Amino acid sequence: MSDHDKIYSTKFQDKIERSTVLMFVVTALAVAVGGIVEIVPLFYLPNTAMSGGNGTFNGTAHKDKAGNVIPMDKIVWNPATSAHKTLEGWQPGDGVRPYKPLELAGRAVFIREGCYLCHSQMIRPFRDEKDRYGHYSIAEESMYDHTFQWGSKRTGPDLARVGGKYSDEWHRRHLSYPREVVPESVMPNFFWLANMPVNVAETKRAMEVMTIMPFNPIPKTIYTEAYIDGAPAQLEGKTDMDALIAYLQGMGNHIKFEEGVNYRD
Amino acid sequence: MSDNHDASGVPTTGHVWDDDLGDLTNQPPKWWMLGLAASAIWCVIYFIYYPSIPVSNANNYFHGLGGWTAITEMEADKSDVDKVRGKYEDKLKDMTPAAILADSELTEYVTRSGKVLFGDNCAACHGTNGVGTADKQGFMAPILRDDEWQYGGKIGDIYTTITGGRQGVMTAHKGVLTDPQIDDVAKYIMAMKAAGKDKADADPTVAAGKAVFASSDCTACHGADAKGIPAMGSKNLTDSICRFDCSIEGVTRTITFGVNAGPDARAAVMPSFQAAGKLSDAELKKLAVYVYKFGGGQPDAPAASPVANSAAK
Amino acid sequence: MEATQATPVKYDMEVVRWFTIAAAIYAVVGTLIGVYIASELAFPFMNFDIPYITFGRLRPLHTNAVIFAFGGCVLMATGFYMVQRTGATKLWSNGLAWFTFWGWNLIIVLAVVTLPLGMTEGKEYAELCWPIDIMIAVVWLSFGFNHIMTVAIRKTSHIYVSNWFTMGMIVMITYLHVVNSLAIPVSLTNSYSIFSGVQDAMVQWWWGHNAVGFFLTGGFLGIMYYFVPKQSGRPVFSYRLSVLHFWALTFGYVWLGAHHLQYTALPDWTGSLGAAVSLAMIIPSWGGAMNGMMTLSGAWDKLRTDYILRFLVVALAFYAMSTFEGPVMSIKSVNALSHYTDWTVGHVHSGALGWVAMVSYGAMYHMVKKLWGVEKMYSDNLVNVHFWLATIGTVVYVVAMWVSGIMQGLMWRDYDEYGTLTYTFVESVSAMHPYYAMRMVGGLIFNIGTWIALFNIVMTVRQASALRSSSAVPAKA
Ligand code: HEC
Ligand code: HEC
Ligand code: HEC
Ligand code: HEM
Ligand code: HEM
Ligand SMILES: [Ca+2]
Ligand SMILES: [Ca+2]
Ligand SMILES: [Cu+2]
Repeated sequence: MSDHDKIYSTKFQDKIERSTVLMFVVTALAVAVGGIVEIVPLFYLPNTAMSGGNGTFNGTAHKDKAGNVIPMDKIVWNPATSAHKTLEGWQPGDGVRPYKPLELAGRAVFIREGCYLCHSQMIRPFRDEKDRYGHYSIAEESMYDHTFQWGSKRTGPDLARVGGKYSDEWHRRHLSYPREVVPESVMPNFFWLANMPVNVAETKRAMEVMTIMPFNPIPKTIYTEAYIDGAPAQLEGKTDMDALIAYLQGMGNHIKFEEGVNYRD
Repeated sequence: MSDNHDASGVPTTGHVWDDDLGDLTNQPPKWWMLGLAASAIWCVIYFIYYPSIPVSNANNYFHGLGGWTAITEMEADKSDVDKVRGKYEDKLKDMTPAAILADSELTEYVTRSGKVLFGDNCAACHGTNGVGTADKQGFMAPILRDDEWQYGGKIGDIYTTITGGRQGVMTAHKGVLTDPQIDDVAKYIMAMKAAGKDKADADPTVAAGKAVFASSDCTACHGADAKGIPAMGSKNLTDSICRFDCSIEGVTRTITFGVNAGPDARAAVMPSFQAAGKLSDAELKKLAVYVYKFGGGQPDAPAASPVANSAAK
Repeated sequence: MEATQATPVKYDMEVVRWFTIAAAIYAVVGTLIGVYIASELAFPFMNFDIPYITFGRLRPLHTNAVIFAFGGCVLMATGFYMVQRTGATKLWSNGLAWFTFWGWNLIIVLAVVTLPLGMTEGKEYAELCWPIDIMIAVVWLSFGFNHIMTVAIRKTSHIYVSNWFTMGMIVMITYLHVVNSLAIPVSLTNSYSIFSGVQDAMVQWWWGHNAVGFFLTGGFLGIMYYFVPKQSGRPVFSYRLSVLHFWALTFGYVWLGAHHLQYTALPDWTGSLGAAVSLAMIIPSWGGAMNGMMTLSGAWDKLRTDYILRFLVVALAFYAMSTFEGPVMSIKSVNALSHYTDWTVGHVHSGALGWVAMVSYGAMYHMVKKLWGVEKMYSDNLVNVHFWLATIGTVVYVVAMWVSGIMQGLMWRDYDEYGTLTYTFVESVSAMHPYYAMRMVGGLIFNIGTWIALFNIVMTVRQASALRSSSAVPAKA
């Protein structure tokens, strides 16, 4: 307690240990560094799928085998340059696009039911994952996923490319009673989703919110006011089951990947 | 104050908290200090060798001196298995499924690699090993282990099915036929399924149904012999194999609401694995051979050329 | 507000008592839900087709209950306990501490209601919806502010090492919670993160890892630094080691989040950076384990009779084990195998059951005796029974998950001699069944231990108050 205690570390350390304020400040600085270094660059470096919401990217450039830059509108759907101008006209391969209203509603169901706790949506660049699930996932594919859904556990298979793999009817039966189509499954039954109408108001509100996100907002040229106003009509009479299936069926076929292109570089 | 010592006589720092808490002035173990220094050095070396430094260099990051990327690692791993399967895959590339079937070594390879392809992509609808999966609404998709084929059991037919998908349509008969007529024809079909067409035709108790079958549009799709028409994927109604379910209620339901013909109809969609971009050409061929080898595959007529199949529309 | 026996200082211990009892209850509840969700994975009919208890909705309740209800109450009980005793002062504000207590418990109640209803933000360990997030921020700051102010008014010259760790936790968790919860609401119970995709992933795992690193590790190291020397009656082995490993952990742990995202769509540098620093964290982590173990060395003979000490020793062993395992799992080639599998879950629970829960019970038993002024627990034998149930339960759980996790990883990537995949996905699902059943049994054994602990604590408290009321002298606890 006296000031002439022997110091067994350094003077500065001793000072820190005596001063609440100093301890607080030094700790607060020490724990800030790592996070800043790892997070901040992701907002300005290329290949991190950061868009200005108007079709501009931070210098992201995927190159084909010959070294030619693949235009970003081949990767991310841009209605201005695409042959298909509307979300409804969009075709698989036209590029990453925002969710249609029903899909967005389905995504909310996916989150609500905790599907991400058993299913990943992130195919890693491994030969076995390629053979099993398809092309590895790239950053652009989840750029519109506010609250990403990559998951951290595969109790069930990866779902990143499940879209188009099965029929709607299969999904309906599988989601309702998984063990009736896949006897080994440990997935819960979700038949009651078919009795729940989609939340129209919340979906519409979610669309509005997506356009005002500070990072990677959905371009207002895609979610136009008219489009958002038309959403309730699209959702009329649909159930959570329909929405979830629409979401699943849209998954992973947005980009037409070319062999030999490094989409991560 | 430093009157606190541990058993070996090491003094404490002299600070005391809560009556008896103190800390000794021992040095950290040497191995630990070395370890700490080594850890710091390790980080520096790693940061230089592997891509770890998010410093913008030419508007990018420092990729490290080692040249490692996740993608190059994958390419290397892929080339390892490609070495093994390469000799088969190279041959497969330009062969038709029928030609593969004619080559026993390739067939062995393809059946081996077909297992996981089928298990991960098809078994969900057709059941493990193609035995079918059924729930309350009947079979999800046709059984593939038997020798009955709606779309034909030749290797080319099977290949066409898998690449292009299938979506057989049967119109609903609610309103077209009266309810008693539907009941009658359902009974007739049950009789055919139980005893074959000849016996059913001779059975007076289902004569009404027989008449309905012959006079309505059923024969247009299922044929006058009720054996089905492969081009349409219509079902053979004279065998005991059921596409949906074998109860009279099930049959009545199919007739009443049809198949793929509206919201109440039975849904029967075989996705196109080519259009969805899910499987490569080689994988589609492998699956065709794999399914054929379940045992129900039908040989091509001897004259048929091995190039008889063509990619789906 | 009573005095403790040893010092003349009057401490505010009533709130600590309540937090302690709450922790004992939440341990039972949280692990019971753990056993239940384990049974759902082993026997899916256990979902009973009731939306509110399906696996996807109960799992977040399990993690929230064990980490924030159980772990949080332990941290707040011990935090308030240690900061007073090591500073020889009352709390800066007893009233604020009660606000923290009721606020935290209100949050837990809201979690129990909202999570089964499917109100979630879909971020692991940060599932609670935005109004609750705001409450968490307020209540957490009330705890943090009170703690730091109590440190400030301490009567000792130096801040005791436990309080460094608690303070580090308070600061870091505040950063993490605030940034990771940034979202735009669409309704009272639903909101979407302002970040998306790659950026959201990094923010989430910066949070996810450091919730582990600062809440389940830093905070509990603080507990270790108080209760191990106290219970063994020996000074901390090395002051210098404390200093060095504290700063190394505090500075280094923050970088680890990226090890959850190796090989994902983030640029390669992120995962590598996380992996490199993760491996470097073995040494700082083992510094803590070492300091605890060496503090005990020389008191080994006490282990035979002192069951509480056993909890602390085993906790340190599991801490050393899981902080070795974690860095190994961060190595690229190992993570390629372990990620997405039950190995991660095994690692989690060797840390969570072996380290967090064990050290918590060591601290709780120690505190209960002090808080209620009794010499002995109601039954020392039951402490011993609990110890064995906890140890065996943990080992069964962790071994089951190691086997299933590694098997899963190997099955997914196995190629046959033709260079084609050997196993379908569902084959891996059915291969997991025996291990999922085994995990359930291990968890059940562990859970039975928590009931015994609760019983023992309640009986100790009842005995203490019976004693107090039978003697005419006013309570002297
Ligand atoms: C308890 C874990 C669990 C939960 C929760 C869960 N699943 Fe599954 N899921 C599985 C397992 C195991 C399989 C593999 C067996 C099967 O096909 O049923 C699977 C398979 C699937 C498949 C088929 C994937 C394929 O490629 O074959 C889809 C689609 C799917 N789940 C969607 C969902 C959705 C949507 C939810 C949430 C509403 C969900 N799952 C919740 C465990 C789960
Ligand atoms: C979403 C469910 C589904 C999936 C997945 C699926 N099928 Fe099918 N399959 C069907 C249905 C339904 C039919 C019947 C179509 C009809 O009746 O029009 C069918 C028909 C077939 C047929 C024709 C059977 C006959 O009797 O002529 C073959 C062969 C076949 N599928 C093979 C496959 C293979 C190989 C795969 C995997 C690559 C596969 N199927 C995946 C649903 C599916
Ligand atoms: C437009 C064509 C078409 C017409 C008309 C038609 N069918 Fe079908 N029918 C089909 C097809 C295609 C299938 C196979 C469905 C599938 O598997 O996709 C089928 C299947 C069936 C089945 C199910 C067999 C089983 O095993 O479950 C029954 C029963 C049946 N038809 C009866 C009839 C009767 C009776 C009529 C007349 C009243 C009729 N069909 C008219 C096309 C037709
Ligand atoms: C009786 C004891 C317990 C049992 C049976 C149990 C069971 C489970 C189960 C079944 C899961 C889900 C795993 C999966 O999705 O595959 C899980 C997850 C988890 N549990 Fe426990 N648990 C127990 C105790 C605890 C304790 C005491 C803690 C923390 C202090 C804890 C922390 C966690 C965490 C953090 C996860 C998420 C893991 C991840 O996402 O990888 N559990 N637990
Ligand atoms: C230096 C120490 C540690 C390191 C380097 C480390 C590393 C890791 C790694 C690599 C993963 C797997 C990530 C993935 O592949 O998804 C992981 C997961 C996890 N670890 Fe640790 N770990 C450490 C200590 C601990 C401790 C002491 C605990 C105590 C409870 C703990 C709790 C967890 C949890 C809860 C997860 C699951 C995260 C998820 O939901 O996916 N870790 N850790
Ligand atoms: Ca997880
Ligand atoms: Ca068949
Ligand atoms: Cu981590």
